[in-house]
Amino acid sequence: MANKHTVSFKLNGNDVDVVVEPRELLIHTLRERLAHTGPHIGCETSHCGACTVDLDGMSVKSCTVLTVQCQDAEVLTIEGFEQNGELHALQEGFTQKHGLQCGYCTPGMITRAYRLLQENPKPSEEDIRYWMAGNLCRCTGYQNIVKAVQYAAEQTPKEVS
Amino acid sequence: MAASPDLIERESALQGLGVSRLRKEDARFIRGKGTYIDDITLPGMLFGAMVRSPYAHARIKSINKEKALAMPGVVAVLVADDLRPLGLHWMPTIGGDTQAVLADEKVCFQMQEVAMVIASDRYTAADAADAVEVDYEELPAIVDPHKAMDADAPIIREDIADKDEVSHGPRTHPNHIFTWEAGDKDATDAVFDNAAVTVKEEILNPRVHPCPIETCGCVASFDKVTGQLTVNVTSQVPHLFRTVVAMLSGIPESKIRIISSDIGGGFGNKVPIYPGYVIAIVASIVTGLPIKWIESRIDNISTTGFARDYHGIGELAADKDGRIKALRFFALADHGAFNSHVSATKLPAGLFSICTGSYDIPAAYCRVDAVYTNKAPGGVAYRCSLRVTEAVYLIERMIDVLAQKVGVDKAEIRRRNFIKEDMFPYTTSLGWTVDSGNYDAALDKVLNAVDYEGLLKEQAEKRANGELMGIGFSTFTEIVGAGPTKVCDILGIGLFDSCEIRVNPTGSAIARFGTMSQGQGHATTYAQIIATELGLSSDEIQIEEGDTDKAPYGAGTWGSRSTPVGGAAAALAARKIRAKAQTIAAHLLEVGEADLEWEIDRFKVKGNPAQTKTMKEIAMVAHTGDLPDGMQQGLDASEYYDPPNLTFPFGAYVCVVDIDRFTGETKVRRFYALDDCGTRINPMIIEGQIHGGLTEAFAVAFGQEIPFDENGNHLGNSLMDYFLPTSFETPHWETDETVTPSPHHPIGAKGVAESPHVGGIPCFSNAVVDAFAHLGVTHMDMPHSAYRVWQQCKALGIDKRDGA
Amino acid sequence: MKVQLDKTFPMPSSPAIAWEFLQDVEAVAGCMPGANLTERVDENRHKGTVTVRIGPATMSFRGEVEVQDIDPATQSLRLIGKGMDSTGNSGVSMDLLARIDAIDGGLSELVGSSEVSMSGKAAAFGGRMMNSVADKILLQFADNFAAEVAALQEGGSGTAAAGGGAAAPVARGGELNALALGWAVFKDWLRGLFAKKKA
Repeated sequence: MANKHTVSFKLNGNDVDVVVEPRELLIHTLRERLAHTGPHIGCETSHCGACTVDLDGMSVKSCTVLTVQCQDAEVLTIEGFEQNGELHALQEGFTQKHGLQCGYCTPGMITRAYRLLQENPKPSEEDIRYWMAGNLCRCTGYQNIVKAVQYAAEQTPKEVS
Repeated sequence: MAASPDLIERESALQGLGVSRLRKEDARFIRGKGTYIDDITLPGMLFGAMVRSPYAHARIKSINKEKALAMPGVVAVLVADDLRPLGLHWMPTIGGDTQAVLADEKVCFQMQEVAMVIASDRYTAADAADAVEVDYEELPAIVDPHKAMDADAPIIREDIADKDEVSHGPRTHPNHIFTWEAGDKDATDAVFDNAAVTVKEEILNPRVHPCPIETCGCVASFDKVTGQLTVNVTSQVPHLFRTVVAMLSGIPESKIRIISSDIGGGFGNKVPIYPGYVIAIVASIVTGLPIKWIESRIDNISTTGFARDYHGIGELAADKDGRIKALRFFALADHGAFNSHVSATKLPAGLFSICTGSYDIPAAYCRVDAVYTNKAPGGVAYRCSLRVTEAVYLIERMIDVLAQKVGVDKAEIRRRNFIKEDMFPYTTSLGWTVDSGNYDAALDKVLNAVDYEGLLKEQAEKRANGELMGIGFSTFTEIVGAGPTKVCDILGIGLFDSCEIRVNPTGSAIARFGTMSQGQGHATTYAQIIATELGLSSDEIQIEEGDTDKAPYGAGTWGSRSTPVGGAAAALAARKIRAKAQTIAAHLLEVGEADLEWEIDRFKVKGNPAQTKTMKEIAMVAHTGDLPDGMQQGLDASEYYDPPNLTFPFGAYVCVVDIDRFTGETKVRRFYALDDCGTRINPMIIEGQIHGGLTEAFAVAFGQEIPFDENGNHLGNSLMDYFLPTSFETPHWETDETVTPSPHHPIGAKGVAESPHVGGIPCFSNAVVDAFAHLGVTHMDMPHSAYRVWQQCKALGIDKRDGA
Repeated sequence: MKVQLDKTFPMPSSPAIAWEFLQDVEAVAGCMPGANLTERVDENRHKGTVTVRIGPATMSFRGEVEVQDIDPATQSLRLIGKGMDSTGNSGVSMDLLARIDAIDGGLSELVGSSEVSMSGKAAAFGGRMMNSVADKILLQFADNFAAEVAALQEGGSGTAAAGGGAAAPVARGGELNALALGWAVFKDWLRGLFAKKKA
């Protein structure tokens, strides 16, 4: 019987507390305890990237992070991008450039692209394709996703607090 | 005369047919607010975890649930014996076979479902699944379909060993499923016997898997008080799902509600009814609580509907100029342990007989032998249009083989054999009537766009230099929009589809369909069709699909059928509404109906254009008493559309590859895709579909396969091994179009989303083989991974640098 | 997924002692790292377990071992083993022909020819490593076997420390330490990359 731990962290700017077994994955905590179903599960080998969130300023695959590792961390998920009814430039870009079809990989894509643009505000197409290679998509063939990220880059998107 | 600004403005306000308007469904997806199956939580919900067989073929000696049941939080462990008293341990498949819901005394494929644990949360369920002890007696497995019908082959399906047919004609062996053929064998053989030139190749279409990013799953909820069963599920065919569940469970169909909300990619993977769904339903009936079952990625690749596994032999007979006189195609089809895929009663090998392609071939014969093996069930899936990927791969590869044999250029040989523009509608020698096409125009446009002459020159220079460069073509004809009920059915239910439109008094509308989007953009494209028909903005037309309590009956979305069948229903339902609106307008304007003409969004009196009534005005009136005598209120209509024929989109693709002869790596330098799907509803959405279908084709051609060892073990069933292209290696796609409307479709539209996959795969393959053609290579099987291509280089002795 | 393994290990004892020891199934099982015999079903069949530890995770196989075709004339026997891991996801079976041959100097060698086959997750994920891992396991087994027969040769029994060989350390009768094993396999593979392979 595993002992449980209380973990406190910031989720999209709000303080949250959860009580979890050490083995619980962050993706499950976010989706099931904290009702943030934006990040999705697409595999169990850390390949697809549908679970991508931003953790203390880094893109991570939340299927490979234990919730107990997140004590005092700052976690950003797709739900945190729209601020006061205003969409983030990336969300605008994905709509304008038809960068999604079924929408399943989209939260992970946007969250990953966010970190890309924070670190490299003017990426080339090759930069984008390389940086986003950890996020798989079956619907779009990536071409319009690249355009969506380029669109957002031109808007010089703000940091999400 | 140019349209006036006023007309342009009114037209533009509709955001209707032909406009690249942004998608209406994006709003929730970009915010992470979609409702996918795993997002659904119901009060009291329990979790199911599957116990699966590690063996491909084995008897089950015993199952010990004790340890699992003893774990806190475990509610039940279901095995076949628990389902037997309800008669639910076996279920009918949509292929006309039966399939074990939980393994009944034996397992027939690795990872087959043996038990399901029901527990309070997913972690407990997973722990308990590990604690279920199953004792197996391993049996020899059949993995090679060529051995399935040997005299001494072990019998896989003991449950039907005494049946001499499994819904599709006589069987000759316990592991035989059916033999299906089309065409005139004797006439075809006669042509081959006398032909000036014949070519023959063994062509494999390896087993692959659609692998959408979202796996399959359901939340089944049975209400013991009302007797109502509600199943939220990843299903591309919610109504068919409901009908089968009613047949299975004995619950009246009117008390069953199937809800498919957002689906994270289907590609045919979410058409079959999987055991996990049925067990969850049973568990819910037994416990009276909602049961969630979501499969893992490995489960998905290992056990849900795979695609292809066609072992083909292609033969063409021609004259010395490459003009094809006859075609003879054969395929041995490995269906796995159960025949579970979509199969029309008369078409168990799907639409394979489209294999005469874009060509005018006077004599043809094809035959498919389907067999059982100890592998997961499936066959029809993955953007295949029902075996059209298999058919088109064969003909497009074989015409290249023929071109090389007679020494004719690969574009030219296609021209010589094309069905010509003036021959449409054209009935092929295998019985399909191709509705419209203009293959020459498409090919010419594409050759021009890529500067074919320049490429040929470059290729000659590179070859002289010892470099490998390939130019591949695919001039394909697709067949989509299943289909006319006299030919197309599933378990007897015809493949019609439906649309029900209600216009409300303030002039917006809601339309419901029997189809089911999994990313194709129906909420936008259907609204566009109706917008143009009714003169109302597509912004104000809500589209609903997927809830069987609300939506009219339909056969779902697969095989690119939504536009051909659902889109037709939408247009015709809208026209019924417009007809009623015209009667109301005539009444209001006090003229005869024949005195009115329709202009964008209103009726105008001929010769008196100031006298108009807009659809919006009429919508309000339709709910008042100011109507012609005898007319009922309301402005709705529904249409159940039984298509007169399928539709035949086509395309011309060119692919240029450069292959590194030292490593076998292929770089796709250029891919130019011209598609003709008739009337184009939303060019932006079409382009997106082409990009996606080509990327999946790229995956199939260059790296996907589901390999097994001789014991039936999966050797590549996770994303560690199964090749899903990333943004980094996916090539850049160039798209183009011609427009040749379908003469029989109400808006002239054909389906399109599977064309890039059907046409793309042979295009890549043809390019790779073409790179070696000057060295005498006529065919190379997929996948064209670097290793396999390198092996070809090695066999030709060109893999080493000089001096090595 | 089948692997054929043919191995010969020199033994520091006379053929007679080695053959005597080979027929003692319980003692031989004791030489297999991580193995424990739990029940004697009959004269030739035993039930047992093999436990493999990979970092914090443990995989436990349970199964049966049967001895057949004991032939004193050729000093050979056949061992058929079959096991499944406790989660039910992987199966392993082995068909081993073992023989004691006499060599110069009054010593002997253990000649083994076995076919090992895996199914389930072990085959899907572990298949690619099977040859190297099996090699290493057999090396440890042979070391333990050699130690036992050496002790018998000396005129006693007991758990003398494992003799030479570059095998990774393993506790007798305890768990098989897969990480240590994995490291040994990795070093082997690395070494192989830089060695000139015979054509």
